[in-house]
Amino acid sequence: MASHGLTYEGCNFLRQRLVLSALSGKRVKIKNIRSKDDEPGLRDFEANFIRLLDKLTNGSTIEINQTGTVLVYQPGLLYGGTVEHDCNPQRSIGYYLEALLMLGPFMKSPLKATLRGVTNDLTDPTVDLLKSTALPVMKKFGIDGEGFDIKVRTSWYSVFVEMQSNPGMDKVAMHVILYLNLSLVLHPQVVKRGMAPGGGGEVVFTCPVRKTVRPVQLTDPGKIKRIRGVAYSVRVSPQMGNRIVESARGILNQFLPDIYIYTDHMKGANSGKSPGFGLTLVAETLNGYFLSAEMLSTPQGQGDPILPEDLGRNCAKLLLEEIYRGGCVDSSNQSLALLLMTLGQQDVSKVLLGPLSPYTIEFLRHIRDFFQIMFKIEVQKPLEDERKGGDKVLMTCVGVGYSNISKTLK
Amino acid sequence: MDGKVKKQKQHQQKHSGPKAEKKKLKKQNGSTEEDERKRNPKAFAVQSAVRMAKTFHRAQDIKTKKHHVPVVDRTPLEPPPIVIVVVGPPKVGKSTLIRCLIKNFTRQKLTDICGPVTIVSGKKRRLTFMECNNDINSMIDLAKVADLVLMLIDASFGFEMETFEFLNICQVHGFPRIMGVLTHLDAFKNNKTLRKTKKNLKHRFWTEVYQGAKLFYLSGMVYGEYQNQEVKNLGRFISVMKFRPLVWQTSHPYILADRIEDLTDPERLRTDPKCDRTVSLYGYLRGTHLKNKGQVHIPGVGDFQMSDVNFLPDPCPLPGTQKKRALNEKERLLYAPMAGVGGVVYDKDAVYIDLPANHVKQLQEEVRPTTELVQSLIETHVTLDAKMAASKVSLFSGSAGLDPTDISEQSGVQEGLREIHVWDAHTQTQRRKVVFTGLEEEEDDVSGSSSDEDDDGSDQENQEEEDDLSTFLKEVRDKSEKATKGSTPPVKKRKLEEMQGEEEVIAEAPAFADSEDELERGEADSEGEGEAERAGDSGHCSKESEEDSDDEEDGDEDDESMEEEIGADDSDEEEEQGTFKWKEGLQQKASAAFLRHQEAAPNLRKLVYGSVVEAEDSEEEEEELGGLFRVNRPQKSKKVQADALDCSHFNPDISHNWELEEMLNSIRDCFVTGQWEEGQDAATLLKEDEELYGDFEDLETGKVHKGTTGEQDQAEVKMDDEEVQKNKRLEKKRRLKERFDTEYDDGDATYFDDLKEEMQKQAELNRAEFEDMDDESRVQYEGFRPGMYVRLEISSLPCEFVTNFDPHYPVIIGGLGTSEGNVGYLQMRLKKHRWYERILKTRDPLILSLGWRRFQTIPLYHIEDHNGRHRLLKYTPQHMHCGASIWGPITPQGTGFLAVQSVSGVKANFRIAATGVVLDLDKSVTIVKKLKLIGYPYKIFQNTCFIKGMFNTVLEVAKFEGASIRTVSGVRGQIKKALSTPPGAFRATFEDRLLMSDIVFLRSWYPVSIPQLYNPVTSLLLPVGQKDSWSGMRTVGQLKHDLGVRNKPSIDSLYKPITRAPRHFNPLHIPKELQKALPFKSKPKLLQPKGKVPRDLKRASVIREPHERKVAELLRALSTVHHYKKKVAQRAHHAKHKEFLQQKEKDEEAKMKRMKDARKKLYRIMGQKDQKKQRSSLKGTPQDD
Repeated sequence: MASHGLTYEGCNFLRQRLVLSALSGKRVKIKNIRSKDDEPGLRDFEANFIRLLDKLTNGSTIEINQTGTVLVYQPGLLYGGTVEHDCNPQRSIGYYLEALLMLGPFMKSPLKATLRGVTNDLTDPTVDLLKSTALPVMKKFGIDGEGFDIKVRTSWYSVFVEMQSNPGMDKVAMHVILYLNLSLVLHPQVVKRGMAPGGGGEVVFTCPVRKTVRPVQLTDPGKIKRIRGVAYSVRVSPQMGNRIVESARGILNQFLPDIYIYTDHMKGANSGKSPGFGLTLVAETLNGYFLSAEMLSTPQGQGDPILPEDLGRNCAKLLLEEIYRGGCVDSSNQSLALLLMTLGQQDVSKVLLGPLSPYTIEFLRHIRDFFQIMFKIEVQKPLEDERKGGDKVLMTCVGVGYSNISKTLK
Repeated sequence: MDGKVKKQKQHQQKHSGPKAEKKKLKKQNGSTEEDERKRNPKAFAVQSAVRMAKTFHRAQDIKTKKHHVPVVDRTPLEPPPIVIVVVGPPKVGKSTLIRCLIKNFTRQKLTDICGPVTIVSGKKRRLTFMECNNDINSMIDLAKVADLVLMLIDASFGFEMETFEFLNICQVHGFPRIMGVLTHLDAFKNNKTLRKTKKNLKHRFWTEVYQGAKLFYLSGMVYGEYQNQEVKNLGRFISVMKFRPLVWQTSHPYILADRIEDLTDPERLRTDPKCDRTVSLYGYLRGTHLKNKGQVHIPGVGDFQMSDVNFLPDPCPLPGTQKKRALNEKERLLYAPMAGVGGVVYDKDAVYIDLPANHVKQLQEEVRPTTELVQSLIETHVTLDAKMAASKVSLFSGSAGLDPTDISEQSGVQEGLREIHVWDAHTQTQRRKVVFTGLEEEEDDVSGSSSDEDDDGSDQENQEEEDDLSTFLKEVRDKSEKATKGSTPPVKKRKLEEMQGEEEVIAEAPAFADSEDELERGEADSEGEGEAERAGDSGHCSKESEEDSDDEEDGDEDDESMEEEIGADDSDEEEEQGTFKWKEGLQQKASAAFLRHQEAAPNLRKLVYGSVVEAEDSEEEEEELGGLFRVNRPQKSKKVQADALDCSHFNPDISHNWELEEMLNSIRDCFVTGQWEEGQDAATLLKEDEELYGDFEDLETGKVHKGTTGEQDQAEVKMDDEEVQKNKRLEKKRRLKERFDTEYDDGDATYFDDLKEEMQKQAELNRAEFEDMDDESRVQYEGFRPGMYVRLEISSLPCEFVTNFDPHYPVIIGGLGTSEGNVGYLQMRLKKHRWYERILKTRDPLILSLGWRRFQTIPLYHIEDHNGRHRLLKYTPQHMHCGASIWGPITPQGTGFLAVQSVSGVKANFRIAATGVVLDLDKSVTIVKKLKLIGYPYKIFQNTCFIKGMFNTVLEVAKFEGASIRTVSGVRGQIKKALSTPPGAFRATFEDRLLMSDIVFLRSWYPVSIPQLYNPVTSLLLPVGQKDSWSGMRTVGQLKHDLGVRNKPSIDSLYKPITRAPRHFNPLHIPKELQKALPFKSKPKLLQPKGKVPRDLKRASVIREPHERKVAELLRALSTVHHYKKKVAQRAHHAKHKEFLQQKEKDEEAKMKRMKDARKKLYRIMGQKDQKKQRSSLKGTPQDD
């Protein structure tokens, strides 16, 4: 009766495997984790991730051999509830949050996870990016409601800086922005930003529970109507933010006038342990899809320092690259969208993506392993005279008809 | 009398006159309610607003009650046959009915009904009949797969328990359509009793199913068959019946197997007859899409992993879409392999293939793919190895076969050839020049003219860089090359090798997908060329990123940099030869890269899904390479990939330089500021509006504005061809209609309508998406769709399944959803069935039917207290729901289940013990039972007291410090602190002083763990004839009964004769003081018992003299006589008086009569006088009066 397990080698894509295992209920065994390495076995952040998974589930068994090179995970029930977790500063909170986004809607009770650690670093998508892109993607799948949020900062300061950097902005717009920010301020959020390598940030992720996910047809991305962004800086001169904004706008203004980049400077207790600055840019299309890019300063004491002007410019170029790739879901959330399509009803879902990232390709293979679902992949080449970036990929699949078996029936 | 009966006058219709004319008019006009409303508006006016509101409300209520939650219609275009289960107690006529129906539909006689029988009943409908025997296992299984149930009832006997049991099973597992059929109606001789019985049975049936459920009457038998007309009517009912979707059935794939083959190697069977069997099962897929390699459950056998699934041509296809009305004889197909029709007949140890004359063609088609295999297996006399050695593989039907020896000869050469791909650039200039991922290959191109050294170097690199993907791509390319170029020997070998590899590995991929791909590629290539000619060089950069993703997959973050490195190396090498040579290389590279992009697109699917298989393939090759020796390669890239950084970032393509205007221009249209599509452009939209609403007349000025449509149209005709115009017009029309709809229709639409429309759209999309695909590839995306005839292969079925196979028992293969294959804790709501006679006991094993499964488990019953605590119950409540927790298969919440205590044998009474629904699948269950710890005081102070006997150690007491305790008499207290001696004793305080005789107890809750018993009912594995005798774990009661074990009862609970000692009460003593204070009434009356009367007070007795005595005697006698006389006289007087009274009454009467007469006379006279007077007064008063 014991369900057959799946066996993999190496620690790459560990999160995917464990998340899919938890969702599908299939046992997974991962062998040869850095077996040829000088330091064999699981790293601290991976162990930390497994610990987080253990907190979220109920009745799961995890076996790790002595050297840490073999991991056997028998998933339990996704329990959710209130979870507090200190993330390992080797990886940012984004690393953990990506997995939580996938698991969140299928818990027994609504998830409220407080994650502490590095909010922004170079390797993983930052919390700001996930908030502005992953949440809208999930909303398209019907995962929405009161308590669906990743709580990340907002401060008064940004408003004024924005107003300063936008001399052309009229009074009405200013009022609108003031009003919007006021409404945000009214919900106090204890959020601290923490840059790599020190960390010290805090993020609260709340997610409601769904029994089923609805099928989607995201085929027409629409045109980009506005670009928003956040330039944040902690433990450095507050001027950094403005410098970033200036340079980024310089590039993006060639395309669109509707660009607001907020600056967010954190002070004191909210600023974490390490200095740093960065920029997250989000482009919103007419049909409500979000493409994003981000760039960070190199962490303190690692590599050459980067000028804020360069950072802003490079980040803007990254956004252009992302727009060039296009699609309805940006490159870092491809796997999330594909997962939700897979877990949908037994109906056809379609989504238009940019070129598939290697992470996504591996994810597709994993989906086939765990759910026996194959996607129909169609490449849409741009027309001759079209100036809409590169090839797009239309992914089509029939959902497995997944229903949240953790949720209680009353 | 008969003659006198008056015949009623017949009604004569009027043909003339006003009435007839009125009628005629009515007939002609057909007056409706509307007319009446118009004619007589007052009659239809609102009389009462409240009344109207009420009626409206009621109408709406009724309307909304009919609504069901809309679901997406997922029925396939060609649905599977409808499963009709014929149920009923034995000897009721089930087989006869099936026979009759089959004869009715197909004009064929089927004598032995064995297993499912599939027939074509109409142009759009097929039916599968399945007879359900009296075993509760079969009943449960078939209720889960039935679409329609024909419930046979012996009318001469009435309802039997089986009928009700089956109805209850159906209620739990989703209610299929149920049609009752009354048989044995010819047993009634009296017409009236027949009618009465019919009515009674009908009403009882209605209460069970629903009011107005169809009950069919089969009145009698003719030559052992039911009457033709009645069977025909029943058949008509069946063929027009509509079905509602059942939740479980629409969310799970399932197959009712109609054919089974044992594929086990006969050699293995010979050596080990009890080995696990490889079995292929055939049947129509129903429910939802079935995924290959999924998990299935076979009720009565267990859970299995499907090793392979493929679809076969339909053995019983629907007729083509002709216009004609009825089916012809050839289309009335019948397929029942288990019953011996449709090709394969089962015998004990052989399979016979039966080919009736009229079905030869179809059956051959059907039998071809698999039965050959079976036959060959059956007929094997040599081992497989020998056969393999002798066999030849031919690649093309015309070509000569290849021996395995050839392959072994060539394999050495092949390895050598493998890495060297000599590209003939001159012959193949135009297409698929270089499509490799690494740059090495491109270099090879160059090296066609350059030195050997170069070649070697690149080869080395090639080997090092070799990863699964590139080899795969190479192979694909080779193939395609071959296809275009014709066969060169080395390529052919490679192809052969591939074919072998595929035969081994690719099971789910269609066998000849490669060749298709070639075609596809061919097409794609030609297209690509076209594009290549017109497209600029900057437009295709992103494809590179797709390609690059292969490299990135290797895990290296900076694969690009690696690429660059290689490039640098090349240039270095080439610089030696000539300074300008690198430019040439660049050009080559650029063109190669471009072509590579062209190739990338159609390959994306293979890139994602195909490469894994190939990777395994290549690994195997490496291992078997030397035969004896293994080449120990570092496999660096693979390791790096396996342990690379786990990160979802997608690094940008470095080739994109966003400084360049060209690059920036390539995304201009992604922004709202860019150019819009023709359909959405503001200018066009405006123009269109003008076209639509262009012509208008300004009423004020009287000026007529004309749209410019006509002219434009003409212009367009000149410019474009008609096709475009037509499309445009259609588009315009559509938009206009949409606008109209939004303006006028949507106001009426409710939420329900919107939802329904949405579902409708989704259903259409589901249908359309994969419609134009061929089945082979479609199956990969959606899985096998319902309606297909599929063959499942299961590799490790227990041998009893095959050896004890009985076609009368249904073999159902139920697909399991995600994580339904796991076992865990389930919490359910359960209610004992009200017809089940006994209550159920906690921890007694119970057989549940849940999902597809039947299994024995040990439930714990519990009930939720007000504070949310789940308290264990010893027994199920009589008429209430309670909770039940079990260890069992994970099944989605909301699934119904039923429980029976045993599945063996037929008992007279109702077998279904309980029903319920799954609520929760929680792995941490907290069921608690009440625990009372008892202690005794051994030392009592004022309110404090020392208690012993409740605990055993100090530690235990420490755990319970502060806990509240109570005595039996109700004095409350608290545990304070442990005492050192005796161990387990403690100090406690109470609200009052205790007595030594008090008993102190502590009330606590103890968590109970659920026993982990999950024992699937393996009834199909039992020998033929004993399949209904499965018995699992016995209850404690049964065990005791069977083993004759009796518990010694506790002495205290034994009954003993009651001996009651007479009770002695002390006299009531009231203190003197109190006595004094009491009122006299309540004072104890201290009357002295009467003493002796003193002598002086005593009266003397009279003693008479004899004379006196005589006198007294005489007086007494005299008085007696006197008394008697008086009595007699009185009696006489009484009689006389009575007589006198009678007389008096008589006289009175007579007197009254007389007086009455006299009065009468008087009144008459008076009356006459009055009359006279009146008369005279009328005449006029006489003067003299």
